[in-house]
Amino acid sequence: MATPPSRREDDGARAMSGESGHRSGRLGIGVDIGGTFTDMVVMDDSGIIHVGKLLTTPDEPARAVEDLIRQTLGRAGIDPGDVSSFVHGTTLVTNALIERRGSRTALLGTAGFSDILEMAREHRYDLYDLMLEMPDPLVPRWLRFDVPERILADGSVLRELDSAYVEQLVTELVDHGVEAIAIAFLHSYKNPQHEEQARRIIERIAPHVRVSISSEVVPEIREYERTSTTVVNAYVQRLVKQYLDDLKERSAALGLPRPPHIMLSNGGVATLDTAGEFPVRMLESGPAGGALAAAAFGKATGTPDLMAFDMGGTTAKLCMIENGAPVVAHDFEVDRVYRMKPGSGIPVRIPVIDMIEIGVGGGSIARIDALGLLTVGPDSAGSVPGPVSYRRGGTEPTVTDADLLLGYLDATYFLGGEMELDLEGARSAIKKRIADPLGVSVEEAAYGIHDSVNSSMANAARVHAIEQGKDPVGQPLFTSGGAGPVHGAGVARALGATTVICPAGAGVISAAGFHTAPLAFDFVRSTHAALDSIDGQTMRREFAAMEADGEKILRDSGLRTAEISHRHSAEVRYVGQGFEILVPISPESDDWRAELKESYRRQYELLYKRQGPDVPLEVLNWRVVSSGPAPAQSLRRPRNAGDKPGNARKGTRSAYFPALGGYHPTPVYDRYALQPGTRVHGPAIVEERESTLVVPPDSECVVEDDGTLVLHLLSPAHSTPQDGSLR
Amino acid sequence: MTRASTLDPFVVGAVSSRLSSVLQEQQTALVNTAFSSIVRESLDLACAVFDSKGEMIGQSVGGTPGHINAMATGMHHFVSAYPPETLDPGDVLFTNDPWMTAGQINDISVATPVFRDGVLVAWFATCCHAPDIGGRVLSAQASEVFEEGLAIPIMKLFRAGQPNVDIVDVIRQNVRTPDETIGDLYAQASANAVGADSLLRLMDEYNLSSIDEIAAEIMSRSEIALREAIRAVPDGVYRSEIECDGFDGEGLFLALALTVADGEVHLDYSGCSSESKSGVNVVLNYTKAYSSFAIKAAIAPDVPHNAGSFRPVSIEAPEGSILNCRRPAPVASRHSVGHYLPSLIFRALAQIVPDRVMAESADAVWMTVFRGKRSGDQPFLFSHFLSGGTGARSCKDGLSTTSFPSGLRAVPTEVFETLTPMVQMRRELRTDSGGAGEFRGGLGQATTFHSRDVDSLLVNANIERTRFAARGALGGRPGLPGFFGDATGRSLKPKQALTVSPSVPLEFRPPGGGGFGDPHARVPSAVLADVASGYVSQEAALSEYGVVVRFLGDPNAIVRPPEAFVLDEDATHQVRSS
Repeated sequence: MATPPSRREDDGARAMSGESGHRSGRLGIGVDIGGTFTDMVVMDDSGIIHVGKLLTTPDEPARAVEDLIRQTLGRAGIDPGDVSSFVHGTTLVTNALIERRGSRTALLGTAGFSDILEMAREHRYDLYDLMLEMPDPLVPRWLRFDVPERILADGSVLRELDSAYVEQLVTELVDHGVEAIAIAFLHSYKNPQHEEQARRIIERIAPHVRVSISSEVVPEIREYERTSTTVVNAYVQRLVKQYLDDLKERSAALGLPRPPHIMLSNGGVATLDTAGEFPVRMLESGPAGGALAAAAFGKATGTPDLMAFDMGGTTAKLCMIENGAPVVAHDFEVDRVYRMKPGSGIPVRIPVIDMIEIGVGGGSIARIDALGLLTVGPDSAGSVPGPVSYRRGGTEPTVTDADLLLGYLDATYFLGGEMELDLEGARSAIKKRIADPLGVSVEEAAYGIHDSVNSSMANAARVHAIEQGKDPVGQPLFTSGGAGPVHGAGVARALGATTVICPAGAGVISAAGFHTAPLAFDFVRSTHAALDSIDGQTMRREFAAMEADGEKILRDSGLRTAEISHRHSAEVRYVGQGFEILVPISPESDDWRAELKESYRRQYELLYKRQGPDVPLEVLNWRVVSSGPAPAQSLRRPRNAGDKPGNARKGTRSAYFPALGGYHPTPVYDRYALQPGTRVHGPAIVEERESTLVVPPDSECVVEDDGTLVLHLLSPAHSTPQDGSLR
Repeated sequence: MTRASTLDPFVVGAVSSRLSSVLQEQQTALVNTAFSSIVRESLDLACAVFDSKGEMIGQSVGGTPGHINAMATGMHHFVSAYPPETLDPGDVLFTNDPWMTAGQINDISVATPVFRDGVLVAWFATCCHAPDIGGRVLSAQASEVFEEGLAIPIMKLFRAGQPNVDIVDVIRQNVRTPDETIGDLYAQASANAVGADSLLRLMDEYNLSSIDEIAAEIMSRSEIALREAIRAVPDGVYRSEIECDGFDGEGLFLALALTVADGEVHLDYSGCSSESKSGVNVVLNYTKAYSSFAIKAAIAPDVPHNAGSFRPVSIEAPEGSILNCRRPAPVASRHSVGHYLPSLIFRALAQIVPDRVMAESADAVWMTVFRGKRSGDQPFLFSHFLSGGTGARSCKDGLSTTSFPSGLRAVPTEVFETLTPMVQMRRELRTDSGGAGEFRGGLGQATTFHSRDVDSLLVNANIERTRFAARGALGGRPGLPGFFGDATGRSLKPKQALTVSPSVPLEFRPPGGGGFGDPHARVPSAVLADVASGYVSQEAALSEYGVVVRFLGDPNAIVRPPEAFVLDEDATHQVRSS
């Protein structure tokens, strides 16, 4: 069995001068603010050494962070001065948008175009639904203004900026209590002069007003998406800035030697200053941590390519991990207003870990659709009224009800026994709403619900993988979230995967993830030129300038030059296309051009199954990711007082497995009592407080040294299952 | 090979939802690899999957109804022209025959047979609007289809994976945009290949040697569901009519008798105008496409659209009429008539199921082709789309500047200006253009184009509703009709190629949608909010809605906050009760 030692061979190289000697390498802390809890982990080179959890304090989020750090470090006897790195993520931005708690924001647009925020792309996101609704713009029409100015597509100025107009406007806006201004002029990605000029006027007249300009937030063509992103940035900036200032002060007062770095949506980190300028990039920082953790677990178990699958109460999220890192996309949508439909939210263009969110969770409602077929979600019973079995007034059968009926969940040990579930209620709801209309038994109906969820996840995973040119078949699946391990094996089977990784301490998974990726910063330079016309010297100068920027920030964060590396890539497409592919490039190679062409063509054919036409290539952007060394941490979690060595077997209950012909007496184990090296044959059920792992027949669950459970799905031919036997 | 029990409803459901995701992959590949802005920005496209006999099993969620549904009927022509024994893996077929497919010679359908173990098991197809196909610059001016561009009968675009270089060269030599037109065909073939690849994987996973049985089950369930939904609508004959601009002031009349009986809908278009001498004629295939779209959207939006859901809807239009034109009638601007069909159908349905439909919308998408040359550059050609407002619903306002019934998307101004020497001087909501009602129609827009250093400029505005406004429903008022002209307010002729002086700004104002219900029943605070937002003027608030709104703010100020607008409740009461 694979054991961790090999992962620690470079500890020596990573040890930093001046760091405390009595711990195993550098100490790092990660803190993640979620909707309900604020989570913390303390890590050293050997893995997670402490965890902590406090209720989030929404009125003053930094307070919980401070209390949590003080308590956790205090309990562990760690001097805050010994902490060399603090990485932080938060849902603050997302929540502010959903709850519309941002600043009163004005939009300054090019004269004739300030309605862009409302006119959008003139597109119906659902062809057949005549009752569609569009999102309310964050800036109402009375706060959108036509500023006399115009820049053309080539960057030349058609009409100078009317400074006097901007001056008068800003004076009035201040009187009306406007706290933030977004500026998005046409073609500013080509020539930012007017946006910068307007910002200078605002800074002079109203220095307290926050200003976001589109040429800095997202310097890319397509005015609607750029304007929308810039408005989001302006809208949340004050809130975020206040919070980050507060956090900085508290963290200094705690005696932490360096201010926190902020986790961004793409899994990179930023300084407090950068995060404060571009808060829109923090939108998905918590989920990004979760994806990074999945990547780290994958590396630790020798599976650098995997799919991360997190399933909670209302939705599930899925993300591809490739070569130990999550895949990054550039489009995201916040706050979908109409039946969770894609297209009904606010679009933002930011680098974001590419996750798909599917409206299927434990609370999702199952019903018979217009075709008389079973369908599950996206509407959810939520926590109130919740599944029928919660006895809170829910009447529609949900996924949790089905899982209960199938024996996967224990009516008496839900949330560690805090809540008893109503099995009979679940049964009668499934019978009435699903089994009877379909003419099947109630068990078949329940299994149909369970299986339908697994297929939905697998379908979404497949589209997602294929959109990225990846083959989803056979990739190991990393599961987290309350409902993830219940469905992990089924989703894996539907995807043709044979391995399911189920981490210990999934409750603090995002915070742990913050410290598993190297400290990394992204840089981009536009070029937009035909590949054949690009001069190698110019290209190398652009890359060198970005590398210098990266090196400076990383050195300021305490890294040595020798520890810093740079990854180079180019966004390439055929001349005339509208969408590009990110291709790695070796700037120093003499054959860089031919290599770039070759790798572009290879990737194009992989994605689109055919060669493109005989047309030249063009480059849109050069990109550099500058990063520090990859941390060597495993996500090992120590055995502690909560663990109960001894008899892990809690008992037996009847669980439904079609492969065994229906209900089958199934052994139940206590996860906290399972010792490393233990192997559990399916069918079996492994319970912990927040979740339950279903180990189906023809599978084997192995307890790794770090407490991770790895489920190996065997093909029936290979196994002669001794049901539930320990070895 | 063992076969899955294809009639297991769980397997049918799983395959059905899996096919939807396969179609999404197909569309993503198409958009990402397309060359023309028409496809990649405006989404003038459709993607679909068919069983081995060419029956449509499903369509992608994006795309535009005229293409999707026309492809569903068009696929049968491919299948009969090329039986399986004439096809090899790697073959790709295509055609732009208007009568067989999407009704316009620019719309090219590309169909790819899918083979598994040497057996043809399915088809994937895409239909896209080519930026140019030769002939005249797209307009309604032709008198025969032969003038409208290069006709491509059903033939192979690729043979066993290799391009048919002869036809590719012919196309290149005949069109104004060779790289875009050919590039899009490659994109269509790629998209089909992506779909085929995923379908084969699905068949492997479910161990299926054929999808026909499951496909038949999906179709028959869709058919049953649509029949049931129709049964919930009261039987009877419901009539409606619409007038539209047509070509050069000819004025066209569309009439419908919609019969609901025994779970079926029959649409009879007898009584429509006869075929036009100009290119606004609609082929029967396209008439069927928009008709079946409208019935399904109104009566059963959740039932998937496939060959099964077409069965309970029958359509009849006299041969030689504007909705069933004969070869070689010109058809280039067929959408300017065909796009009215959903509003015509909704008008009939409003008599029985008003809460399921909308008032009339701007309807025909405004498609403008610009052709010109800047000194020193290659000539350019660009197809631009604009949308007006949609009709109000029984419980919601209409949507402003939203494409309906087409599924098109606007071209970003920045993309347009990067690809042409044109400048768009404004693009804004058109105050008072939405029809008044208890629920207001969506607003149209006002936009102005200018050219920059252009020696010559040819403009063809393929637009509609400049004479007949979108009418309201159940007491709602009409929206404003559209306007196309110059900056002096002089109107210009639509649907024909005009040589305009490059220095003259061109004004386009697509129409607003109709209102729903009595405007006097609109909640006064909603009218107040509309005035504060500038969607409705103070004058129209009074004249249309009977609501008196006073502006108490500083008339010289740039910023006019909502609190500066005040509802005069007494005066409103007086007006509304008089």
